[in-house]
Amino acid sequence: MSEFLNQFKQLTATGYLFWVLAILALLSAVWVVTARNPIHSVLALIATFFCLSGHYILLNAQFLAAVNIIVYAGAIMVLFLFTIMFLNLRREDEESKTNLTKMAAVVVGGLLMVMLITIFRAKSAQVPTFNPVSFDSRTGLVENLGSILYSDYILPFELASVLFLVAMVGAVMLGKREAGDRHF
Amino acid sequence: MQPTQNVLIPEVIQQIPLTYYIIISTALFVIGIIGVLTRRNAIIIFMSIELMLNAVNLLLIAFSSYRSDSSGQVFVFFIMAVAAAEVSVGLAIIVMIYRNTRSIDVGLLNKLKW
Amino acid sequence: MFPIVLLSVFGILLLFLGFLKSRAILLPAALLFLLVSLAVNFIDWNKTYLYFNGMLLSDNLSMVFTAIVLGSAFMVVALSGSFMEDESAQPAEYYGILLFSLVGALMMIGFENLIMLFVGVEILSVAMYVLTGSDKRNLRSNEAALKYFLMGAFTTGIMLFGMALLYGATGSFTLGGIRAYAVNPQVGLSLLFYVGLLMLLIGLLFKVSAAPFHFWTPDVYDGAPTLFTAFMSTVVKTAGFAALFRLLSISFSGVYTFWWTILAIITTLTLVAGNITAVYQNSFKRMMAYSSISHAGYLLIGLAALGQQTKQAIVFYSLAYSVATIAAFGVLLLVARQRNAETITSGGSSSESFDAFNGLARQNPLLGFAMAVSMLSLAGIPLTAGFWGKFYMFSTAVERGQIWLLVVAVLMSAVGIYYYFRVIIAMYFREGATAPIRVAPFYRYVLVVATLLTIGLGIAPGLLEGLF
Repeated sequence: MSEFLNQFKQLTATGYLFWVLAILALLSAVWVVTARNPIHSVLALIATFFCLSGHYILLNAQFLAAVNIIVYAGAIMVLFLFTIMFLNLRREDEESKTNLTKMAAVVVGGLLMVMLITIFRAKSAQVPTFNPVSFDSRTGLVENLGSILYSDYILPFELASVLFLVAMVGAVMLGKREAGDRHF
Repeated sequence: MQPTQNVLIPEVIQQIPLTYYIIISTALFVIGIIGVLTRRNAIIIFMSIELMLNAVNLLLIAFSSYRSDSSGQVFVFFIMAVAAAEVSVGLAIIVMIYRNTRSIDVGLLNKLKW
Repeated sequence: MFPIVLLSVFGILLLFLGFLKSRAILLPAALLFLLVSLAVNFIDWNKTYLYFNGMLLSDNLSMVFTAIVLGSAFMVVALSGSFMEDESAQPAEYYGILLFSLVGALMMIGFENLIMLFVGVEILSVAMYVLTGSDKRNLRSNEAALKYFLMGAFTTGIMLFGMALLYGATGSFTLGGIRAYAVNPQVGLSLLFYVGLLMLLIGLLFKVSAAPFHFWTPDVYDGAPTLFTAFMSTVVKTAGFAALFRLLSISFSGVYTFWWTILAIITTLTLVAGNITAVYQNSFKRMMAYSSISHAGYLLIGLAALGQQTKQAIVFYSLAYSVATIAAFGVLLLVARQRNAETITSGGSSSESFDAFNGLARQNPLLGFAMAVSMLSLAGIPLTAGFWGKFYMFSTAVERGQIWLLVVAVLMSAVGIYYYFRVIIAMYFREGATAPIRVAPFYRYVLVVATLLTIGLGIAPGLLEGLF
């Protein structure tokens, strides 16, 4: 523990930023799953995404940090918010799961977390570390990612468009109002 | 280690061991799992799943940055694309159910045994 | 490779054909597209290619799996004539999504990189979520779609975490890279690797509905429109097992001692859960769902006892299982529609229960015979393809000396005979007033071909040997 504190004292501003972002991300994640109002959950999730984007910048993955904000916080969460407001789910009045099942789920989750963290902290986890000699700080830049995406990963990249077609056709097919359907 | 090279390496990578990133993303991931197991509102369950996917993203980016290997970040790109597609279909299903039942509580849907 | 490209294009073409006033062209067009894709599949026969910078492998094994998947899809689509009569159905969209989902299945069959596996699994799953919910006014279908979607997305998360951990341990997403790490440990394998392998396996085992990750299967198979249930229980399962086989035989064969016990336990659980629960079902469709779980168990035997014969056993078993399942669902479709029409006029038992089959064989000998043969094949009675499928599977277990697995499997197939024979007894020995059911010519061909294939493979199982 004292070793950890010593380490903590030697951190620079960036190091402290890491801790602040990590704690904020975890807190807002907890808020996502505990908030009673779905809109609060959405806002908390957006906060989590911003914290994670901060982490990505710290890790020198600028491109993905931007994409994370644009795609997740910008597009996906707006879709969630839109649906929640569309369905007018302002309050949560159907918390019908019993406290017992909730407790059980939390205990199971907690055990899982403790188990996984113990495994990952163990010596034999052999977590890789960075190599100062071969380190390349341009890994996460858009120039590098783009050239890899369009050379090595061109096939999955193109086939992802099939996925989008399926999702598009499917969403329209399911969401379209039938003749005689109830109106909102 | 030469100081000139040191400048290029992000400070976080020099100061924070990779294990911390693994632990943070595991924690995020498990929070997502707990959300899936405890909540009944389909939209919130779905948001918890998004949380799990973001934990994976953080993990992949951390691995990729520490190893200076781009393929992890390309994978994250694909996860984001797939998540977007999944969200559109998932929300369409939720809207469709709401139209028929006026509720999105997974416990009320018990025509089939759960 | 060629089928993937063609199917993507054909799917878009089908969506455009949906703009035409007449729906009549859609079914022949979809069948033609599937046939063309099936034909071009064999262009690379007897050659091994790696396409697109080592993203996709095309060898004889992947081509045989592709042929099984495309053939099953062809037969399922051929059974879909009733869409044309249903006003609220949207056949162009259904066929388009089916073709796109096959792209996902083929990616799972030939992947060389975990990214391909992931995108393939997602294309297939997203398409299935949509098709499960395609009966929009039916609450059961809605509910099945939501359940399938939430569970599927949840396990996708777990699978991705596994892939991320594998990447962290090995530094590579390619099958070869992971293999190189696993067979050549300098200081012992990282724990990240084991946890990642487990999570990846959980994700894939969920997709093929192995116990204890099977609980979604009965509900989803029951709630989905019958035709799409047939598609799910054949195409998705075959593709899932092809993917599992590739992963385990190429990347993880070096750590066989680690995963085979886990897989053997899961196999036992799957066999017991599937077969025992199937006995208690009153709905034929639900029984078929549990039966599909139990067949996942038989297929898993081959993986748990991974060896020289596994490849052949899995190919043969998935072919025999797919053909028999499609024939069974085809007959069920006709019977259920007939019963539904009767219920409206007179009122009677549920259209998908075992009782619906009472006395079927007297008035409809063809339907009765097709159903009987497919049930015999699923039960594994000699002279049908299912028998040889089980035979090959069991001999892989013998080869590895996993006798207790074999004992469980044999006991459970004895249980299976009970519930499969319930249908045969209902059809041939029970009294029931079934009017002759009109069978469209095309429908008849599919049933005849499926029956002939089942019997043919049962008499001459060597037909497939040496192909790959």
